[in-house]
Amino acid sequence: MTDIHKEPMESVSITFQLNAETVTLSVDPSESALIVLRDRLGLTGTKEGCGIGECGACSIIVDGKAVNSCLTLAPQLDGRNVMTVEGLSDTPLGQSLQKAFAETGSVQCGFCAPGILMSSCALLLSNPEPTREQAIEAISGNLCRCAGYVQVLGAIQKASRISSINDSQD
Amino acid sequence: MTGKSSNEKPVDSVGQSVIRVGTLERLAGNAIFCADIKLPDMAFLVAVRSQSHHALIKSVNYDKALDSQGCLGVFTSRHIPGKNRFGIINKDQFLLAEEKVRCIGDPIALVAGETLLAAQRAARLVEITYQELPTVFNPEEALRVDAPKIHESGNLLGRRLVRKGNPEEAFRISDVVVERYYETGHVEHCYIEPDAGVAFVDENGVLTIFASTQNPHYDLKDVCDLLNLEETKVRIIQSPTGGGFGSKLDLNTQGFTGLAAWHLKRPVKMVYTREEAFLCTSKRHPLRIWYKTGASKDGRLLAADVRIVGDTGAYASYGMAVVTRSAVHATGPYEIPNVNIESTFAYTNHPMAGAMRGFGVPQIAFAHESQMDLLAQALNMSPVEIRLRNSLRVGSHTATGQQLQASVGIAKTIESVKPYHDKAKSNPPVLKSHHKYGVGIASMFYGIGNTGVQNPSTAQIELNRDGSITLFSGAADIGQGSSTVLAQIAAQDLNLEPGMINLVIADTGKTTSAGATSASRQTYISGNAVLEATGKLKEVLLTHAANKLKTSRNTVGLRAGFAFENGNHDHKVSFGELASIMTRTGTPLKWQGFFDPDTTPLDPQTGAGKPYATFAFASHVAEVIVDTYTGEVEVVRIVAAHDVGKAINPENVRGQIYGGVVMGLGFALMEEYIAGKTESLKDYHIPTCADVPEIIPIIVEDHEPSGPFGAKGVGEPALIPTAPAILNAISDALGSRIYKLPASLERVLAASILSRES
Repeated sequence: MTDIHKEPMESVSITFQLNAETVTLSVDPSESALIVLRDRLGLTGTKEGCGIGECGACSIIVDGKAVNSCLTLAPQLDGRNVMTVEGLSDTPLGQSLQKAFAETGSVQCGFCAPGILMSSCALLLSNPEPTREQAIEAISGNLCRCAGYVQVLGAIQKASRISSINDSQD
Repeated sequence: MTGKSSNEKPVDSVGQSVIRVGTLERLAGNAIFCADIKLPDMAFLVAVRSQSHHALIKSVNYDKALDSQGCLGVFTSRHIPGKNRFGIINKDQFLLAEEKVRCIGDPIALVAGETLLAAQRAARLVEITYQELPTVFNPEEALRVDAPKIHESGNLLGRRLVRKGNPEEAFRISDVVVERYYETGHVEHCYIEPDAGVAFVDENGVLTIFASTQNPHYDLKDVCDLLNLEETKVRIIQSPTGGGFGSKLDLNTQGFTGLAAWHLKRPVKMVYTREEAFLCTSKRHPLRIWYKTGASKDGRLLAADVRIVGDTGAYASYGMAVVTRSAVHATGPYEIPNVNIESTFAYTNHPMAGAMRGFGVPQIAFAHESQMDLLAQALNMSPVEIRLRNSLRVGSHTATGQQLQASVGIAKTIESVKPYHDKAKSNPPVLKSHHKYGVGIASMFYGIGNTGVQNPSTAQIELNRDGSITLFSGAADIGQGSSTVLAQIAAQDLNLEPGMINLVIADTGKTTSAGATSASRQTYISGNAVLEATGKLKEVLLTHAANKLKTSRNTVGLRAGFAFENGNHDHKVSFGELASIMTRTGTPLKWQGFFDPDTTPLDPQTGAGKPYATFAFASHVAEVIVDTYTGEVEVVRIVAAHDVGKAINPENVRGQIYGGVVMGLGFALMEEYIAGKTESLKDYHIPTCADVPEIIPIIVEDHEPSGPFGAKGVGEPALIPTAPAILNAISDALGSRIYKLPASLERVLAASILSRES
């Protein structure tokens, strides 16, 4: 669980791009990326649901790929390009996804939403027009207990269409 | 008279799929859940929990813990200033154990640290010695006289009898009698947000507790009793809550954070790990059900004899509600003239079982819907036909003798799914020989609100000086959408866009009780409370507007924050101006609404009474493909028809249906919490996106005259028919039936081997 506040025995300095800003900080080599994001950088949009990589609530995007930040060590972020849910609103694709999630009723309690958004975003970054099967595969590591996934799959399709329309207008 | 101008058309908030309140901040990562709260000087809490199923506590030594670096304090039951008892119905839980523990996970000590790490380190240094006691895990054994006593008062939690007619005689004249035994296991709620809370003492000396909760006003009462504080000295604020499904009706972190903040006089935070949430929050009650049904040869149900034994674990939680609800719903949505139902629940050394989406009805529906299919088979009838023939209708009497007056949509839900059922049956897909295809149907009814007891809700509506409107409701929105629905109801009545209503929700410092977010009750009960409040405000708005516009009251209408003269919409006065007039004339700006559903208590001997003011109805059809080599079941499609009275927000209703169906699929096929073995999500699997079938939701609206705009509820009903429909489909595929949930690979495989051998 986060809020660990380890008294670091040793520390390493890491520098990475975080939501289009450059961040440098020193971390305990055994600290997870999730702890660094939530406790050191105050980005609490990324959630912890299990701490063992089973629920996907802590998904972030590292170099275009969705990863569980609870299983990623902070030093592994060094030199990488990291996006969290807080950075989503700054990108056209992120905005399309947020709009589509809202309009389809995909959010109930919303605790899993940041993670599912990041997995969906990573999918559409690499594959702007995924099939339903590809969308299912992309978010199958994200657990949702309230909403039953149906509306989310609709949202991904909707966002992929919006994005591709936007792309064609560029 | 000319037609209405566009300004006179109602805004039509009810029936619109308004985007759920709180959606945008959740999508931006800005919603502050309890685990996200950071306060200056905040301490962290860790509970030290029992590792024994049943033992006397011989000693608790925490000297080393206190001496450890960063430890701020260790609390045991001796530090509880008030009465160390709590529980929503039976006050049998201890915030911190006294002389003994009754299950693994019972809290014994609470440790506070400067950091979470310091608290965890200190917690490991707390030394507890136990004297082991004999244990009991089987509820039937627990009820024997020589069983180890878990509570002083004995192991019987409660019993409910429902008796009507002459079942003995009815069985004698029945042409067919089906008798079977069914079993269900423990199920974990598995909301994605583990329980969490924060507490601090504010500048006025008020202990303020942020909680992930379904019922802040209940929390307030029990926290005050635990800490011996006046209700004015404690404030519970519901934070965004990451799902609940019944488990967050219990006091989870609220007592701990309250106790520590009160002693330490500094902010504290407690976040359960997933393992802790699995270990020590409530579960769905495992039920053992003996079910005997008699019918005439034309398929009429004549008698039901049902015995239910439930395991409530070490504490009652909502167990008494499950005792009663499982009995009252044991017939299913059918009229059966002769019934003998007995439901008995016992304490055991298992984890506490409590409220979980449906309060025993999902379990009993598995039994009554299996029975219906077995009867249909014995009578060579279609499963659809036997359900239609017996379904409740207006004028029918339920097992408790309640005569249904209106909004009995069960037959409509069956008729809605029938075409899908019949088409699936007549066009089975071509499959490999070891893949078997099956179709199943299941139905349910569900009483809205608490059973046979007063369960009122209150709400206030306030006209602000600037003409805006604020709705105050104590109803906790845990993701199901009650805030949105209540705003839509208020908006419809005042003829505003729902976005024009400010909301103050689930804060005991600012709202009055709406009762629990449970029993699918908030739309119906709190919705009616909101309507009473808006009705009163509307009255005074119309009166003052008529005065101001110098016209008669019955010619005044409201629209989008103005009162205007019908037919002359330029002749109008704004809500802001009306607020000024009302203030000057001493007319209250804030009005209260109250609603308590019309129920009567159940007779202790016969169960006779009116437990609910209204019922929701539903029918699902499931199509499955069973792999007879592996036992794997693929659910291909679920068609889910729900009579909700009126869908205030159709997309919300569909969202509840999708979520309920998927939870029902987990209950049917994969979810089984094994006490002492299941630790976390690594060994407890809930459905992922890859498990989800095509789901076709069908909304049936059989208007409920006593509901707000005709609405009833849908939260729990959404889950209930799914598992029985899937089990009936598996049985259809294999030709043999599974009587124990979940239908795991092993059980499906066993059933398919059995069917090959027969």
